[in-house]
Order: sequence, then C-alpha cells, then structure tokens
Amino acid sequence: MNQPILSAKAVRKTFGKFVALDNVTFDLQPKQRRALIGPNGAGKSTFIGCVAGQIPGAEGQILFKGEDVTKLQPSALAKRGISRTFQISRTFLHMTVFENMMSAFIMARGSWPSLSTRVFSDLEDEVHAMLGNVGMDTRANETVENISLGDRKRLEFGMALAADPDLLLLDEPTAGMSIKERHHLMDMVVELVESTGKTLLFVEHDIDVVFRVAEVVTVMVRGSVFVEGTPKEIAANEEVQKVYLGEGDH
Amino acid sequence: MNSMKSDMKKKSEIDFRIVALGAAVALLVIFAGGAGMSLLATEILIMALFASSLNLLMSYGHMVSFGHAAYFGLGAYGFTLAIVRADIPVGLAVFAGPIVAMIGGLIFGALCVRLTEIYFAMLTLACGQITFTVLFQWYDFTGGDTGITDFMTPRFGLSEQYFAVFTLTIVILCLMFMWRVIHSPLGLAIRSVGQDRYRAEASGLNPRQLQLIAFTISAFLAGIAGTLFAVFHGNAFPDYAGLGFTLDSLIMVVLGGMKSFAGGIYGAIAYTLLKTYVPLVIQEWELVVGLILLFIVLATPFGLAGGIKRLQTMLGMGGKP
Repeated sequence: MNQPILSAKAVRKTFGKFVALDNVTFDLQPKQRRALIGPNGAGKSTFIGCVAGQIPGAEGQILFKGEDVTKLQPSALAKRGISRTFQISRTFLHMTVFENMMSAFIMARGSWPSLSTRVFSDLEDEVHAMLGNVGMDTRANETVENISLGDRKRLEFGMALAADPDLLLLDEPTAGMSIKERHHLMDMVVELVESTGKTLLFVEHDIDVVFRVAEVVTVMVRGSVFVEGTPKEIAANEEVQKVYLGEGDH
Repeated sequence: MNSMKSDMKKKSEIDFRIVALGAAVALLVIFAGGAGMSLLATEILIMALFASSLNLLMSYGHMVSFGHAAYFGLGAYGFTLAIVRADIPVGLAVFAGPIVAMIGGLIFGALCVRLTEIYFAMLTLACGQITFTVLFQWYDFTGGDTGITDFMTPRFGLSEQYFAVFTLTIVILCLMFMWRVIHSPLGLAIRSVGQDRYRAEASGLNPRQLQLIAFTISAFLAGIAGTLFAVFHGNAFPDYAGLGFTLDSLIMVVLGGMKSFAGGIYGAIAYTLLKTYVPLVIQEWELVVGLILLFIVLATPFGLAGGIKRLQTMLGMGGKP
C-alpha cells in the first residue's frame, strides 16, 4: 500500500464536556473516493473541520502527505493542498459568479497582493474554463445572491477546485438538491476528480449518491469510526443497517 | 464570452466622465460661490475623503470602526507636530501626517483584526479613545486640550478659492487611488474576506492579514483628510481624534450609503450642508439630522447612493460609481 495521503491518528475533539470525536483513526489512500456517513451528530462535519483547520484544538495527530498538520491554520492547509466546501455553501454573495471564481483563483495562486488588473486578464481564460467545468459559465455575470442554492454548491465546488488541491473535502455537497441535481452534480464531481487525479473525501446523507460515487465508505457513529468497507460490504453489514440505515435518517 | 471578459476590466476602469463632472460641479461652486462657498466646499471635500476612507472599511471590508477619527486626528497631529516639535518645513510635514496615521492604523489595526464584528468595533473604539486621551493629556508634547495653533498660515496662505481647488485635486487623486484599490486583485481579496472570511480562508488567504492591509490603507486616507483639515484651519485639536468626528464619519457613511463607492461622498455633502444650514433655521439641528437619518435608514437602507441608484434604474439610466 502507498503512504496514505491523509492519516488521522487517535483524533479527539471535545466541546466542553461533549465529546464530538473520540479516538478517530483513519487512513485515506491517494486518489481514492471515500464517503463518510453516519447518523446526525456522528462527528462527520467536525472531522472535516479538524482536517481543514476550521475547528482548532483537536488532540491526536493528523498527517497530510506524511506531515503533521494538526495545528495549522485553514489558509496554510489550503496552500498545502487541502481544499473544501461547506455544508451550507459559502460563496461571496454580493459578487458575480465570475468574480467569485476569479477571487478563488487569485487567493489560491497568491496573486492577490497587486493593484494591477493584469492579474485578472492573465487568469480570465482559466476562470471561464473552470466555470465551464462546473456548468456555470453561462451565468458568469449573475450576482450570487440571485442564483439557486444548487448553483451556489456547484460554484463553490469549482472554487475549491481552483486551488488544484490534492485532497478535496466536500461536506454534504448535494444537501438541499433534487435527486436529478444530486446525480448530475456528483457525476460531474467524479469526472473532475478522476481526470485530475485528486483524492476525494465527502460527507453525504443520500445513500444512493454514496453507493454511486464512493470506492470506500467509512461509517461513523457517536464520534468514532464504526466500520469501513466497500459500498457492497457496508450495504450488507447488519450492524450498519441497525445504527444508520435503519434509523431512517434519510 | 467576450462581453464577459471585458466586464471585470470595464468595471475596474475609472470613468473619467464622472470624475470630470464631479470636478466641474465643485469648481463651479468654488468660483461662482466666492470665498464663503469655497470654505464650505473645502470642508465637504475633506469630509468626503474622511468618510470614504471609512466606507472602504465598512462597505468593502465589512469592518465597522467606532474609532475612525483616531486616524484623522493622527494625520492632523502628525503634520502639526512635525512642524512644531521637529522643525520640519511645512512642505515636507504634509507627508508626515498621513504616514503617522498609517503607522497608527498598522499598530491599532494589528490589535483590532484579532477579533470580528462587535468585538472588533469595541477594540477600534478603545484605540480611538486611547489616541484621543493621549492627545488630550500629554500637554508637554501635544499641547493638551488647548491644541496647537499659530504655527502656520492657514491654507498655506492661499486664497479660499485656490485652497479649495488644491483640496479638490488631492481628494480626487485619493478617491481615484481608492477606486483602483477596490477594483484591483487586492480589493477583490478584501471584498472576499468581507463577505465570507471562512471561504476566503479555505481558499488559502489569511483573513487577518487582508483586514490589516485594508485597515492601514483606510487609516492612511483618513490621515490625508486629517492633514488637509489641519492645513485648512491652521490648527490641531484633540477633538479631531475624538468621538464627535468618529460619529460624524459613521453618520456620513450610513447617510450616503453603504455598499456604494460614492456613499462617503454623498454622505459628506448631505451631512455638511445639513450641519451648516439647519442651525440657521432651528437651534436643535441635531434633532433634525437625527430624524433625517432615521428616515433614510428606514426608506433606503443603502443610503442616498442606494436611493439614487434606485431612481436611476427607474428612469432607465446606468449606475454611477
């Protein structure tokens, strides 16, 4: 086996007395597509937040490409190749779709400390190409607050890709979308992740989407890793059905 | 595709027709209105720059400062003290004001950007009050509450009209610089942090660093306004860094319109005119201004600029910057 791209060792995160993550140990192989599932409150989003740096103060160790990144700031993690989207999509609401993507590019490339609009012209083609990749190029001039939540999710996904990350973390990428939209978005995600050789870790409630996209599924329950396996194994696992699927969480 | 391509560039370009129009109106007021009008125009211009510097923070960086007069005051005192205490000639001292304000902004800003929202505002208030208190109490150096007067001929000895033109030139240059900043890659990053710091951070940006840069630029511009004000009146008082001026700057931005480049300019015109003419009619002028402010905030949340934009859309005209 290769060296895992992401490796969590006994990660623990508490909020006061509440233990959100307890002894999470987790290896992610390069170029793998991994789903993180589990009932509400299992710690999935917390884990993503700890890996991407938004939630500081985790105990244990998180290694990215073999380097200890447990204590790093989100911006430093982004520069090392970890990119993410948020459960409730985060975009720049009062800017156009184009400006959002341009902003993502100048931030990722570190070309923002400039007063010259040359920076914009140099990146324009790439910005349009990325907007095209996520199917947003025709809406480039629309202000983000006027586009649908699904479109914002697509835009944010593109903005995360703009950093050309090695590891892509998607926190409920399809939440709030119709079934058709979900499959459309995730097909696009798979295609882009495959073609650029990225590793994907995503939190998802929709089991159809999970089984369609993931190569390996990790089930979390009450802050710990409950079981890991291929979608087939997980689907056949009675314990999993009891704690997760049976609950009718989705 | 091509129309989209040019969009961002077009947006970032300065529309010189509007600059020329604004300058022409100001020049008309200055030369047709005589000495009295020139003094009023000068005050409005200085306030427009001061309010715009705060607008840069509020509208684009999403940072509300309750201590913005500190940098106005530091500009005035940086200039004045350079002459009085360091014997620097007036022509060079004018550079000392903005630089002192910028350094003040860098130091206080580094402290303030550690927090966000209301906690940020409280820190800026504290920094503003510290500045005011030092200027007010340090008699040996700053002259304390009696301020510093009689150290130069007001307006460099220029006539009211010529000084108004001089001020107009400086203010236009500063506003063009500000426009350039806002529409540059740096400005896009500042706006991004202002709109969603978590997204910006996840994209590889350190939000505090960006906020500090915005804060320092804003302090620098406020410092230029303060320096102009000290030259205009030929004096410096601690009040220039006090709560009164801070409040004025906030009122001007809200009155003029947040989320709009011209907000600070409109606000400065409206507020200065109200402050000048309402007291002639009614003694309780603050009450009138308060009521007007109340009306504006309720009627058009984005102030005069927002109202004008709405009117323009209704009339089918293009938007002003």
